[in-house]
Amino acid sequence: MSQLKDPIREGIQRGWKVTGGPFGPSPENITCDVAIIGSGAGAGITAEILTKAGLQVVMIEEGPLKSSSDFNQKESEAYPQLYQESAARKTEDKAINILQGRCVGGSTTVNWTSSFRTPAPTLAFWQDRFDLKNYTVDALSPFFEQAERRLNIGPWLTPPNENNDLLRRGAAKLGIAAQAIARNVKGCWNLGSCGMGCPTNAKQSMLVTTLPAALDKGAQLLTQTRAERFELRNGRVTALLCHSLDSKSGLPQQPHGQGAIKIVAKHYVLAGGAINSPAVLLRSGAPDPHGRLGKRTFLHPVVMSSGIFEQKVEAWQGAPQTIYTDHFLETQAIDGPIGYKLEAPPLHPLIFATTVPGMGKSQHDLLKAFPHNHTLLALMRDGFHAGAPGGEVKLRGDGSPVLDYALTDYIMEGGRRALLSMMEIQFAAGAQQVLPMHEMAQPYTTWSQARDAVNALPMKPLLTKVVSAHVMGGCGLAGTEALGVTRPDGVHWQLENLSIHDGSLFPTSIGANPQLSVYGTVNRLAQALAKKLSGQDVVLA
Amino acid sequence: MQRRGLLKLGITAAVTLSVVGGVVAWIQPGLARGNLSPLGREVFRAVGVAVLDKTLPAQDGPREIALEGMLQRVDVLVAALPQHAQNELSQLLSLLGHPAGRLSLAGLSKPWADASLEEVQQALQAMRVSSLALRQQAYAALHEITAGAYFADPASWSLLGYPGPLKF
Repeated sequence: MSQLKDPIREGIQRGWKVTGGPFGPSPENITCDVAIIGSGAGAGITAEILTKAGLQVVMIEEGPLKSSSDFNQKESEAYPQLYQESAARKTEDKAINILQGRCVGGSTTVNWTSSFRTPAPTLAFWQDRFDLKNYTVDALSPFFEQAERRLNIGPWLTPPNENNDLLRRGAAKLGIAAQAIARNVKGCWNLGSCGMGCPTNAKQSMLVTTLPAALDKGAQLLTQTRAERFELRNGRVTALLCHSLDSKSGLPQQPHGQGAIKIVAKHYVLAGGAINSPAVLLRSGAPDPHGRLGKRTFLHPVVMSSGIFEQKVEAWQGAPQTIYTDHFLETQAIDGPIGYKLEAPPLHPLIFATTVPGMGKSQHDLLKAFPHNHTLLALMRDGFHAGAPGGEVKLRGDGSPVLDYALTDYIMEGGRRALLSMMEIQFAAGAQQVLPMHEMAQPYTTWSQARDAVNALPMKPLLTKVVSAHVMGGCGLAGTEALGVTRPDGVHWQLENLSIHDGSLFPTSIGANPQLSVYGTVNRLAQALAKKLSGQDVVLA
Repeated sequence: MQRRGLLKLGITAAVTLSVVGGVVAWIQPGLARGNLSPLGREVFRAVGVAVLDKTLPAQDGPREIALEGMLQRVDVLVAALPQHAQNELSQLLSLLGHPAGRLSLAGLSKPWADASLEEVQQALQAMRVSSLALRQQAYAALHEITAGAYFADPASWSLLGYPGPLKF
């Protein structure tokens, strides 16, 4: 266990109002000014701003409260504790594995710190197609600046690790521009274990920034507590019904009915993340006159190419994802053939071993080459073309959400181009062999051999390995009621005291790692909400 | 013509499985109280041997210990899954453990424990590239859980050349 200071444990000792799980039972009835569902990127920013405005805030988080003393860099503990469905959440047809946080701090506790403002072409598309007139680069810019200041988002000045430098060198050989990725860190130790929770508190996640600020101002945090549904009457939310989860297993307590919590607030903010936020509304029977709820849920479907190099890469160590290229987002129109962003993900033994395809000797050879492995990923920009209309969040019989997402031919042909681009870069960087992540592929030792093979592969779901770490949409913003679920000011189109403040707002995918898009967008929405509810002007930083 | 034939086989297999599945899940589930049932263990043991063939220790004794450790970690991994995923896995293992289900889903005529390593590998390979989504999904689940459980153990990391997290 780390001997470093743990600001969360210190805060609890100071008397933060935290209940649920090991922190003891929550009251059965709670009243407050604002109830916020979730504690991730959108919830954290909102909580800090609303508490600054003097509002009484209650946050409801399904996952556990874990902090730097708990973060031991082990995947076998981090995945079950900190991720949705043990990091094995899948789309309905099992063709896409989804990495999403489920802990205090949400995905910001486990993300890889990549920080991008919402790209200008994405905003232009929203203005044009979703009537979002005030979603311009200029209008959002001050809100991004504040978020960047608050979360110490800036250039990463340490040289990239070999894993990222291979992307830079390979791209440079081909004349493809690659840039550095800004990160939200302060005094980063360059360990590379961001995905398992930062053990040194260097990552400026919600866990160590906005949530402590809100808790210091008296906000209440209910951990291991599931928001089940809203009670609705006459176009308003009248209560939020929650359920505490078992302190050990994190599963619902038995027998049913025990642990029920009713929260009555003046205003409600839904920030449980895409998939979970639409699910709360679906379970509540929320009005959906235009059939938009849960639809247009986007994933940035990811395909991967795995290269082996003569030298050691040791992709587990050093800051993850510090180099990227948007070359292939910009080679065609935004609503043309699907574009993709390339990045180099960190690799740790569990996530690596479960991704290495096949069995027997071929699998063994790939496993043994782990220190020499360099994997590239392509995030495909879905939501800008009729061929990538996104998925639909549905409810299972037990009320849990499942995403039905079709990997269309349009997307999968983009996957083929992305595999080709990544393999070419890896060979240019000096790869001895390259294996596209596809069940029918083999390791290839030359670019021409790889190119011919991938051109002949059937690009089908389940055969092609597809993953996602970015879930967006499902409660889409729109300037016209018929086009979305949420108004431009973040308020639900049909429920006047409900705001939605998370990645589910986005009417398309972002085309970049979305955390800063959530921070910036929600920062503006939360400031307006604080003004409406308290009359006060507050800023994030 | 060939495509139509395949499609028909696919539908027949799916119908057979759903009928057999309902009965089998009731008789012998793949999971019992969140842990692998004897049937589930038999399937995962055979899959573990086939998938991790060259990765497991070569000698019988250490190989058995490694396999037993993997099976115990499958239990840990499964217990952390949400109920809907546990139910699906239980049903899948139930199907794979039943002679009719094993034949239609895995194409394996012998019980898992009696099949040779090559036979299990061939069965898994056929599922892997099958045109039937159900068979591909089953392969993916077995493969992912097997590899995940095996490499959750720090003792397995030396094979990967992974030194473990930096201590400080």
